[in-house]
Amino acid sequence: MSVGRRGVILLLIIVAQWAVFEAGLRLSASSEAAPGFRALFMPDDRIGYRLRPGAQTHFATAEFETDIAINSSGVRDLPIGPKPPHERRIVILGDSLVMAVQVPLAQTFAKRLEDRLNASATPPARYRVINAGVQGYGPVEQLLFFERVVAAFEPDLVLATVFVGNDATEAAISEWRLTPTTERPAAAVSQEHATRLRRLLRASVVWQIVRLRLQTALTSLSGPVPERPLAVYLSDESPEIARGLVVTRECLANLDRLAAARHARTALVLMPARLQVDPEDESQLAEIVRRHGGTLVRDIATERFRTALSPLNLPTLDVLPVFRASASAGASASAKGPVGTNAGVSVGAGARLFYQQTMHLTPHGHEVLAAALDEFLRERGLLSATAPEHLPAAGR
Amino acid sequence: MVFNSLHFLVFFPAVYVVYRALPHRGQNWWLLLASYYFYAAWDWRFLGLLIASTLVDYGCARVLARAEDPHRRRWILIVSLGFNLTVLGFFKYFNFFAESLHDLFALAGWQVDFITVRVLLPIGISFYTFMTMSYVIDVYRREIEPSRNLLDFALFVAYFPHLVAGPILRASKLLPQIARPRTIARAQIVEGLWLIGLGYFKKVFVADNLGHLADGIFASDASLTGPDVLLGIYAFAFQIYGDFSGYSDIARGASKLMGIELNVNFLFPYFVTSPQAFWRHWHISLSTWLRDYLYIPLGGNRGTTWTTYRNLMVTMVLGGLWHGAAWPFVLWGVYQGALLIVYRATGLAERLDRAAEMRRAAVVGLAWLVMFHLTCLGWLIFRAESATQIAALLGALPHGWTGHAEAWSRLGGPLLFYVGPLLAIQLLEVRRQDLMAVPQLPLPVRYAIYVAIGFFILLFGDFQGAQFIYFQF
Repeated sequence: MSVGRRGVILLLIIVAQWAVFEAGLRLSASSEAAPGFRALFMPDDRIGYRLRPGAQTHFATAEFETDIAINSSGVRDLPIGPKPPHERRIVILGDSLVMAVQVPLAQTFAKRLEDRLNASATPPARYRVINAGVQGYGPVEQLLFFERVVAAFEPDLVLATVFVGNDATEAAISEWRLTPTTERPAAAVSQEHATRLRRLLRASVVWQIVRLRLQTALTSLSGPVPERPLAVYLSDESPEIARGLVVTRECLANLDRLAAARHARTALVLMPARLQVDPEDESQLAEIVRRHGGTLVRDIATERFRTALSPLNLPTLDVLPVFRASASAGASASAKGPVGTNAGVSVGAGARLFYQQTMHLTPHGHEVLAAALDEFLRERGLLSATAPEHLPAAGR
Repeated sequence: MVFNSLHFLVFFPAVYVVYRALPHRGQNWWLLLASYYFYAAWDWRFLGLLIASTLVDYGCARVLARAEDPHRRRWILIVSLGFNLTVLGFFKYFNFFAESLHDLFALAGWQVDFITVRVLLPIGISFYTFMTMSYVIDVYRREIEPSRNLLDFALFVAYFPHLVAGPILRASKLLPQIARPRTIARAQIVEGLWLIGLGYFKKVFVADNLGHLADGIFASDASLTGPDVLLGIYAFAFQIYGDFSGYSDIARGASKLMGIELNVNFLFPYFVTSPQAFWRHWHISLSTWLRDYLYIPLGGNRGTTWTTYRNLMVTMVLGGLWHGAAWPFVLWGVYQGALLIVYRATGLAERLDRAAEMRRAAVVGLAWLVMFHLTCLGWLIFRAESATQIAALLGALPHGWTGHAEAWSRLGGPLLFYVGPLLAIQLLEVRRQDLMAVPQLPLPVRYAIYVAIGFFILLFGDFQGAQFIYFQF
C-alpha cells in the first residue's frame, strides 16, 4: 500500500476517533473542561466571567459526585430574597475553595457555619451565610463581584477568603481590571488573546485538553519553576508576588470601605494550601522546586499575606494552625489504630482535610473550617456586632 | 530520570540519533555515557556505587576464570557476593533489621538502641546487584566466559533501559549482544515503537490513573464498605501490573530500537489458574533468578516433600524481602510461599494444567477466578502499610454490599474505563499467544488501535510524573 493511501486511512481514523472522544467527553461531566461544567459560567465585561444565574450541572469524578446549582442571584446558594427583619447575613467571598464544587451545598463550610450559628441563635433571630465563592476568583475579582453582585444581598458581615497559594499571583495578573480605562499590560493583553483563542477552541473539548497538555509540557520545560502558584512559596520574593500582595491589600481595603458604607463589617480568612498541611505533598513540591533551582518555604506565603494585610487592622482568621492541629490530631488518632464507623470500617481515625487529586476541602475539611469560623466570629465579637438587638433599625 | 518524564522524552531521541550515526565501539561508549548520565540525573553521588560494583565484579570474574583451585575460587566468589550483599544490605535492609531488633528487644522489656542511619536507597540497586551477582555465579559455575572488555561489561551493568527497574538480565543474554556489532531490522523498529507506546499507555493511562483510585482506599481515612475495598484492590492489581509491565515494555521497546533484545518480563499474569503459573508469568526475570540462584541451590524439589516446601517458603520470603525492607513484603512472601505449597500439596496445579489441555472451560474459568482473587489478596498484603490496615480492610470486606450502589458508580465506572482498553488488547494477545499481535493486524485495525492509544494517553493520561512503583525496589 502506498504511503499516500496509508496517510489517508490514518487521517480518517484520527478524525473518526476524534469525533468519538469528543462526543464521549461532551456527554460525561467528569472534567472541568466539560461543557456542562463550563456552562456554569458566563462572560462579564468587568470581572471577566461570573456564575450564570440558574445554571446547574452534575459533576462527578473518582473522588466525589455533586449536583451544582447556581441561584438566580448568580451564586452557588439557595435563592436569596429580600432580607427579613430578623435575619443577619454573612457573605463569604473567595475562590474555588469557597464555592466548593467537590461537596454538596449543605456540606460547604458556609452552610455548616450557618447551621452552627442558627443552632445557638435565639428565635426569631436567624443567620444566613451566603456562599459567594467563584471558581478562579482572586482579590480583584472578589472586589468587583462584591460591587456588582454581592452588595445587593445586604450583608452584615463580609468574610473575604484569601487563598495564600495563588491570590498574590492572581491579583498581580488582574490588577488592570481595577481601572478599566487603563491600557492593559502586555501580559494581560496576551491573556486576553489567549482567552479569545480558548473560546474558539472551546468548540472542541479534545483540542482544548491537548492544548492544555502541550502548554503544561512547554512550561515545565522552559520555566524556572513548573507551577506559577508555587512562586509565592519561594524564598526569594519575585516582583510579581510583591506587587500582588500590594494589590491584594488595596482590594481588601476597598472592599472594607464598600462594606462599611453599607453598614457591614469585614473580616479576613487566610486559607493555606494543602502543601502547608500535608508533609508528603510539601516534600514532593519542594523536590520539584529544588530541581528547578529554587527553595520552597512551607509557611512563607501565609507570613507574607499576614504581613501585607496587617495595616488593614481587620479581624483575621489564619486557618493554617487550625488545619495543622486537626491534621496532627488525625495522625495521632490513626497511629493508635482504626476506628469502626457505622458504614463499615474507617481505616485510620483522622479524616483527611483535602482531597487527593483536586487539593480542595473534603466534607471533613469544611466541617473543621466551619467550627473554626464559628469560634472566631464569637471570640472576635463579630456576631454580637451584627446581632439584631445591637443594631439600630436606622442603620439598616 | 524516569521514562515518563519530559527529560527522558528529550534524552532518548537525542541519544538515539547519535547512536545510529556511530560505529559499533562508538555506540557502546556512547550508550555507557548516556546510561551514566541517565543514572546521575537521579542522584550523581550514587554513580560511584554503580561503578564500584562494576569494577569489583568485573575483576572477580576475571580472577575466577583464571583460578583453578576450588578453595580459592570459592573465596573469590565470597568476596564478590559479600561485596554486593553488603552494599545491598546496608542501603536497603540496615534500618529494617536494626528497628526490628529494637522492637523485638522492647517486647522483652529491654530498651536497646541500635544505630539507624538515614540513607537514600540508591535507585535500581536491587536490579543491578542481582545482575552482577548472577554474572559472577555463572562464571564460577563455568557456565559463561567472563567478559574481557571492561567497556562491554560496564555497559551490561549500566545499560539504561534496564538499569533502574529491570528486567534483571543474564550476562549470557545481554553481553553477546553488546559485544558484537548490531543490525537493526525494520521489524525491530515497528515492535520497539509499539512497545514504547503500549508501555506509556500502561503507565500514564492505566497505572497512574488507577493509582488515584487505589490511594483512595489504601490511603483513606474515610469509612469503607466491602465494594470500596474490593474495587480498590482491583485498582491496585491493575495499577501495579500497568506500572511495572509498562516500564518493562518501554525498556524493551527502547532497547529494540537500538537493536538489543531484552527479556520478556510479563506474560499475561492475570490470566493464569495457579500460583506456579503466576510466577512463570509475573516478573519473569526475578522469578527465574530466584529459581536458578536460590531455590535450586537450596535443593529445589530434589529432597523430601518437606524440604521442597521449606525451599519454596524460603525462596518466596526472600523474594518478598527483595521488594522492600518492610514486614508487609515479608508477609506477602509468606503468603506466596503458602499458596505455592498448598497448590503443590493438593496437586491442584497439575490438575488445572490437565483441565486446560482438555479445554474444560468451566473448571478453568473457576480456577482463574479463584486465582485472580488470591492474587488480589496478595496485593492487599503487598500494598498495605501495616498488619493493622490489612486487618481493617479485610474486616470491611463483608460490609456494605446492599444499599451502596454509589461505590460501584464512583469506583467501578473509572476502573472499567481505565482497565477495559488494556484488557481488550491483552485478550487479543492471549488469544493469539503473541505479545506482538497488534503490529501484525490488518493495517486499518492496527492504525485504529495506535490512534486510540494515543488519544487515551493524551486526553486521559496522568502526566504528574509519578515514579514507577518498582523504582523503590
